[in-house]
Amino acid sequence: MSAVAEAAPSGVQSIGQLAGGGTDRLLRFLWVAPLVFALVVTTLYPTVFLIALSLSKSTLGKPFSAFVGLAQILRVLGDPQFQLALARSVLFAVVVSALQLVLGFAIALLFSRLLKAGRFLVSLVLLPLMTPPVAVGVAWKLILAPAGGLLNGVLADLGLTDAPLSFLATPFLAWVSLILADVWQWTPFVVILCFAALTTIPESVNEAAAIDGASRWQRLRHVTLPLVAAPLSAIFLLKMIIAFKLFDLVYVLTFGGPGFATTTAGFSIWRMALERFDVGGAAAQTLVFSIVIGLVTLPVVRFNKAMEARER
Amino acid sequence: MNRLPARAGAAGLVGLTAVFFLLPIAYLVSVSFKTKDDVLTGSFLPHGPTLANWPGAFSAAPLVGFIGNSVLVATLSALVTVALTLPAAYAMIRLKVAEGWLPQATLASYMAPPVVALLPLFFLLKFTGLLNSQLGLALVYAFGNVPVAFWLLAPFLRRVPLEIEQAAAIDGAGPVRTLVSVVAPMVAPGIAATAIICGVLAYNEFLLASAFTLSGETRTLPVGLSLFQGDRLVNFGQIAAASLAAIAPVYLIALFMQRFLVEGLAHGGVK
Repeated sequence: MSAVAEAAPSGVQSIGQLAGGGTDRLLRFLWVAPLVFALVVTTLYPTVFLIALSLSKSTLGKPFSAFVGLAQILRVLGDPQFQLALARSVLFAVVVSALQLVLGFAIALLFSRLLKAGRFLVSLVLLPLMTPPVAVGVAWKLILAPAGGLLNGVLADLGLTDAPLSFLATPFLAWVSLILADVWQWTPFVVILCFAALTTIPESVNEAAAIDGASRWQRLRHVTLPLVAAPLSAIFLLKMIIAFKLFDLVYVLTFGGPGFATTTAGFSIWRMALERFDVGGAAAQTLVFSIVIGLVTLPVVRFNKAMEARER
Repeated sequence: MNRLPARAGAAGLVGLTAVFFLLPIAYLVSVSFKTKDDVLTGSFLPHGPTLANWPGAFSAAPLVGFIGNSVLVATLSALVTVALTLPAAYAMIRLKVAEGWLPQATLASYMAPPVVALLPLFFLLKFTGLLNSQLGLALVYAFGNVPVAFWLLAPFLRRVPLEIEQAAAIDGAGPVRTLVSVVAPMVAPGIAATAIICGVLAYNEFLLASAFTLSGETRTLPVGLSLFQGDRLVNFGQIAAASLAAIAPVYLIALFMQRFLVEGLAHGGVK
């Protein structure tokens, strides 16, 4: 095998050249055609279709019954409830992503010091990540329930509360609950990625710094963090994208309530489409939401590109 | 010096972390063995455990059918996702096909939340007669998970030594042969991890499943689980048992495949 490999003509960069670089473009495109088809169905077609829906009057039974121009988009843009829902989605994405990055990195640091046990623990945190989000919602609902919830039981036993707290029926506590459940589910993802990033740092780098008399904190601040800055920014970006997909936890834990307190943009769109059957309005909301996601993540994408460029 | 306290502190933190991540599942297990009255005490362990919730949950809803649908849809979609993505990722990396825009296009596609595709795909499925069918839902997931599979597979393919592929080419194997009989077996762990992760994503998905399946025969487990909630007679013990039934298949996979999964996620997430 190796003898054959050595006999390969030097300077050949890719199999493509060996296979005859002049293969016609259509044949080459066939390789990626199935994937491109999938992207067209899941992304390009929905975008075009949503623009058409938002400009026309539609029902679930009969789309595009009349052209209404920008009326629906303007209505959605001027709707204070939807503006609030957008703000909630953005705030949630930023808060949980930052929280999970800090927590996940700290846990990964802790695990990485434990060598063998660390690897086992990383496998253990795989469980929350793989749990169906609906079941995550059910589990936290049981813990947070006013009657018979574990948390209220503990608080009462410790004498901290006189009457059970309705975590999911108080706007602020409902948000804390959603964030708690999301932290439980997604911090493990950050732990696994941070753990992998940390293991790429050669042991000798840390040892050298220790010999130079750097304290543990100094080593973290001036050696470890700069070395993992690029992956950390990539993880933050990934986490923000995922946080904008929040839906299941809201559906199970709060159903957007109390009132509209935890109605995010995603949940608002779902209600508009499948509860009020206002297809045009839901399409207009979706377009606005997509644009907002793009605008909010753009600086993070830019920052991530800069970090990766610095690395080279 | 202060080594021992530091170690004890680290052990304490590790213990706290493990408790936090295990607690909700442990409580689900506990509640699934509690009687209706016992649930209201809010204690961690059941007083006088009962087994009645488990058969109760399975008779209250067609859970076995839901599990069957979920496993079918997850398996089918994962296979299609890998079949769509592997050749494309290989061609991009080795044959330099579409390397300029394909990564950007997949990332852009991944950025859009599933709710964006809700209405367009609803009408598409309706138009093609695939609404309220396992096949329709499986195809939606198969296409939707392509960006995830792309980012998970690419690092594995990049690490295949070029010399081996060149050797295959000199032996007269075309790119298709090389991919199928040389490269694919070498990156089998990566393919397995990708397929499992995409399968689990499909198995867990709720939003699109709830909109695209409209009857008991086609519903998946997360949808079935959400229906438990809507019941006026909320029986926490049965909900807990049903949730654990939903969780069990993915935890079994996690147990046997943890190595692959951690490695797959780690390589895909951080280049």
